[in-house]
Formats: sequence, C-alpha cells, structure tokens
Amino acid sequence: MRGPLAHLVPTGLGPWGDGMARLVLQPLDLLLLLALVLLAVQSGRPWSDRLPLVLPLSWLVGGLAGLGVGVELPLALPCTAIVTAIGVMVALGPVLRLGELLNDLLLLTAAAGLNLLFGLVAGSSLAGHGGALPALLGEAVAMAVVAALLLMALAPPHPRWLALGLRVVGSWIAASGLLMLGWLSRHPL
Amino acid sequence: MGQGWGPSRWAVPRRLSPLPPALVAAVLAPAAAWAHADLQPGGGFVAGFLHPISGLDHGVAMVAVGLWGAVLGPPALWLLPLAFPPVMALGGLLALLEVPLPGVEVGIALSGLVMGLMVLFEVKPPLWLAALIVATFAVFHGHAHGAELPAGAHALLYSLAFVIATGLLHLVGILLGEVRRWPGGRALVRLAGAGVALVGLWFLERALA
Repeated sequence: MRGPLAHLVPTGLGPWGDGMARLVLQPLDLLLLLALVLLAVQSGRPWSDRLPLVLPLSWLVGGLAGLGVGVELPLALPCTAIVTAIGVMVALGPVLRLGELLNDLLLLTAAAGLNLLFGLVAGSSLAGHGGALPALLGEAVAMAVVAALLLMALAPPHPRWLALGLRVVGSWIAASGLLMLGWLSRHPL
Repeated sequence: MGQGWGPSRWAVPRRLSPLPPALVAAVLAPAAAWAHADLQPGGGFVAGFLHPISGLDHGVAMVAVGLWGAVLGPPALWLLPLAFPPVMALGGLLALLEVPLPGVEVGIALSGLVMGLMVLFEVKPPLWLAALIVATFAVFHGHAHGAELPAGAHALLYSLAFVIATGLLHLVGILLGEVRRWPGGRALVRLAGAGVALVGLWFLERALA
C-alpha cells in the first residue's frame, strides 16, 4: 500500500514532471504550503514575502538529506497532525493573533523547519528511485510557483469576504487532516 | 502604422490577478498527470468529490446548513460553514477509530428534517444553540462517511475532495439563501426549507422502518 507521502506517479512527463505532479497527487506538502501561506497572509507581516523562496528551499534541502536516509521515514502521522494543527490555526485566524505573539524571524524559522521536515520525509520516500533528484527539483519549483501565486493573489489588506474565505479554507485543511489521521490510524503504513 | 498601438485598444489592465491564468493552467494541464489516480469508487479525488454530492441525504443537509446560515445572518452565515467541516471530520475520525455511534442513519435523516424546518419557519435561536445543533448533526454525517473512507492509495485526496464538496454544498445553500434579499425570495427559501424537511422525513421513515 502506498502511503500519503510516498513515491511518484508516472505522468509521462519525465521525473521533473512527475515531481511537479507529486505536489498535487500526494498533496500533504501542498496542504502544508497552503496552510503556511494562509497563516502568513492572515498575519499581514513582512515575513510572508520571503516564503516563496524559503519554503521550497528548506523543503529541497530536507529532500536532499532524505535521499541519503535510504529508508522511508514513518512520519506520516506526525506530518498529518502538523498540517491539521496549522489548518486549525488558520481557521481560528484573528482569534489566535499569532502574528502578535511571535516575531517574524521565529515564524519564518518555524515555517522553514516544518518544510525541512516534510522535505526530509518526501526525500526518504523517493530514495532509490531513478529520477529522485529531478523529481525533488520539480516539486520544489512547483512549490515556489504556487507560493508566489498565492501570495500575489492574497496580499493583504483583505476584504471581509476574503478574510472569511481564508478561514474556511483553513477549516477544510483541518478537516481533511483529521480524516487522514483517522485513516492512518486504521491503516498504519 | 501611423496609428500605432492606441492605449484605448491595447491598454494593459492596471492590476493583473494571477488567479485566472492559474485556473486556465490548471484546466489545460495534461490529463496524463491524473491518469494514474485511482478513479474507482474506492478512492481518489473524483470519488471523494462525488461522494457527498451523490448522497441525497447528505447533500440536502449540507445545503440546509448554508440556507439556515443565510436565514440567521452574520455571524452564523459564515460561522456554521466554518465549523461544520472540522466537526464532521471529527465524526469521521471517531468512525475510523472504530468508536461506535448509535443511530447514525436516524441522526442524518433528522438533520435534514430539523434544519429544513428551521429554514421553513425561519427559526433564529441563539448562535451557540444553532452551532450546537449543526455540530451534533455534523458528527453523525462525519461518522457515516468516515466509516466509508476507503483503504485505497489516495486517502488524502479523497478526504480533501470530500471536504471541498461538502463546503461547496454549504456555499450553494448560502447563495440560495441570499435570494431572500429579492422580492419573493424569502418565500422561495422557505419553500427550499420545506423541500429539505420532506427529504429528511423520507429518509427518517426509511431509517426507522
């Protein structure tokens, strides 16, 4: 059985394209990226401007390190729990006031650290795969593009409907994560 | 040539939104990328998306959440759809952890009946009570669907699509509810509530039979 973080789906576009497609077809990395971007734009702080560079790079560094691990790290459950928790934070939005509690550098470092961890897991799942390196690069590029597009589209200030929409998306991420946690509990990898 | 590129015809929009091009790119993306996704009823994005839409009992209840939110107005208008998916997923989590919940089918049928009646009679309880009612029913819906979450390879895609479809059904309900602003719209929304209640009643009869 394939896990939520594992392997490449052959798209016919080569390992580069397979890596890009992995972002959508194994969407835990995408959900983390989306949740972090939403959290950043909700806080309306300058640290969000650096995300399109920091997130893919930290993920790629983790991925390259993961390739060296050699075995797939069994971290699907904690990774899903992390995504779920960040989804909850986005859904709570202004209630949580994260941007006022923590400074920019700390938030950026935490985001990078999480992406490093997810990259590590992704890299470990691709270890031994022939096209692992270009696939990692492809996915990292896709992450950069998605993050940049989202940040452009969602730059604050937000009209009220969009601020609510961001929170709704956060609740969807949290809900998907909760279902996935249950699924992982029933079908451990 | 003498006329040049007149600004009235070729002016670039002052602010380009990246979303339309992104949507076009997503639509035009090669189908090959999805060719290996599991499209069987057991898994995959399409199956997860279709699941809540294809079930009438679930579908009408989700629309009713949005309708009732529209009847209640802000903040319930957005709070109910915001809270419903995570609570529903919590019910799904309970099912996946094999925590039993008695009377799931009855609870689902009652959700349609009760929320339909709320819309029909434009009942406006305090926000906490409305949230409690919706959350209770959300657990039943989640439990039923959590038990059906397949042991396939694309569980996260399935879950994500399932939640998105549920959220979109809420949105349909909200948009339907917004016709209350128009002349005759209020009666139309109440009629929709009656329809939901009837469907709920039908499912309740079947669940109790």
